[in-house]
Amino acid sequence: MALYGLIDGNSFYCSCEQAFDPALRDKPVVVLSNNDGCVIARSALAKAVGIKMGDPWHLIRRRPELSEVVAKSSNYSHYGDLSRRVFEILGAHVQRLEPYSIDETFLDLAPVTGDLMEFCQMLRGAVRQIAKIPTCVGVGPSKTIAKAANKLAKSRPELNGVCDLRDEATRVALYQDLGIGEVWGIGGKTAEKLAARGVRTVADFLRLDPRKVRDMMSVVGARVQAELRDVSCLPLSLMAPQRKGIAVTRSFGMPITDWWTMREAVASYATRAGEKLREHGLLASTMTVLLHTNPHNGDPWYSNQHSARIEATNDTTSLIGEAIRMLEPMWRAGFRYSKAGIMLGELIDAGSQPMSLFPTKDPVRSARAMAALDAVNGRFGRDTLRPLATGISRTWTAKAMNLSPRYTTRVGEILVGTAY
Amino acid sequence: MSLAGSYNGGNTTGFASPAADSLEGPIDLAEILDLRRANRYPVRVSGEALIERGILPGDILIADAAAPPAHGKVAIVMVHGEVLVAQLAYRGGEWWLRPGRLGDVGQVVPDDAEIWAIVSGLVRTSV
Repeated sequence: MALYGLIDGNSFYCSCEQAFDPALRDKPVVVLSNNDGCVIARSALAKAVGIKMGDPWHLIRRRPELSEVVAKSSNYSHYGDLSRRVFEILGAHVQRLEPYSIDETFLDLAPVTGDLMEFCQMLRGAVRQIAKIPTCVGVGPSKTIAKAANKLAKSRPELNGVCDLRDEATRVALYQDLGIGEVWGIGGKTAEKLAARGVRTVADFLRLDPRKVRDMMSVVGARVQAELRDVSCLPLSLMAPQRKGIAVTRSFGMPITDWWTMREAVASYATRAGEKLREHGLLASTMTVLLHTNPHNGDPWYSNQHSARIEATNDTTSLIGEAIRMLEPMWRAGFRYSKAGIMLGELIDAGSQPMSLFPTKDPVRSARAMAALDAVNGRFGRDTLRPLATGISRTWTAKAMNLSPRYTTRVGEILVGTAY
Repeated sequence: MSLAGSYNGGNTTGFASPAADSLEGPIDLAEILDLRRANRYPVRVSGEALIERGILPGDILIADAAAPPAHGKVAIVMVHGEVLVAQLAYRGGEWWLRPGRLGDVGQVVPDDAEIWAIVSGLVRTSV
């Protein structure tokens, strides 16, 4: 019999901030998106003062009731390292587990013997003590049910962080009130479509004939229905699926108005894209470069993008060359650009590269140079060694006015304790 | 042609290195300090209060978040919005912070404080 758990961090990014900064512990905390734009995480206290996900911080920050709120820039180096720790802690107790997102892990609980609730509380305790992250656990006979249980565990404090939906009677009662749009895998559009046919709750949805569901929502819908019934159709994915594309697109900290700065920004995105390719052992054979102005602030609107096939590569210097070549004809002086990006597609395994008749680069030398580059940056930190084309002063980098230290990944930024 | 740095003591070009089968590489301090484990965190010391205990300002402590608190251990404690490095004492059913300097009085670890991790080792990069 299949049995799954889903454990996730409560307000994960905020908890990561509070874990290392005791001054934040009794304050409402929010974490902002890249460029300090919108609220992407809220501590419980921040939720209590009425901040919503996606609120633009610069518009709401002056509200008197938010005077106590601390807004942090997103510190993904820190969150990523704590996520790694959480996964490792869980892996010490559970044989098979799937890192579903930075703050959610599916667990195979079928082999657990003894009291399952005690086991789940033990996991929560270990993650809390070692990674400093408070969590909730949902348990059920399929991943979809575990996911729903996890949501309940979070919204109902009386459950003490663990919600068990193994029992069918409990589920049946719950499904009467659970909106179908709340279910994992049912998007807003699908929920609307179902609502138009009078299907509003999970109970309504389960009453539909499976064949009808398949016709309406394809095999995905049929799978969700089966999973909600307790027929597990989604096994654990122990490995991340191979990536289909790699995108590096960012808003600038300040609008870019001159060509050389734009060139630097795009070269730096190409550099990051190259690092991602090599991390996954891939080569890219198509590239898209895009840029645009801000559509929301009254600036004249201009947007353009160009895609082309490139010689399959993961060499940073080649990627920069291609990107700049595509960027040049799109550049129009006189606009205030707010964003640019690079997308790489048709990724292939670096090992299975078809031989090119006329390679423009010696593949062995390129691989060696890139390996050396990655080794230096792996050892001394990202961007220690970088192409000059990516600029020196980097005035375009995203705003991060209130960035916490990278407590566990940079020796110059580690937690400081005062000797008592 | 070889890239600088790729000679490891074994891959000689002329005479075969007698060491080739016995290479071990440099000592890995992260390994010795067990720094890759999820429960290990580095913490930098500020202040001189623990000099008597052999802990100097600038030292990097290796803190273990999985270790239980124990009398006499040095701990990282989060209390009243501050991060302290302090010696623990267990007295009358309560945890105390024992000050490093003689003559200072200690304090009880309050309920809302957290004994964050126990110090298990120390790195000093300049002696």
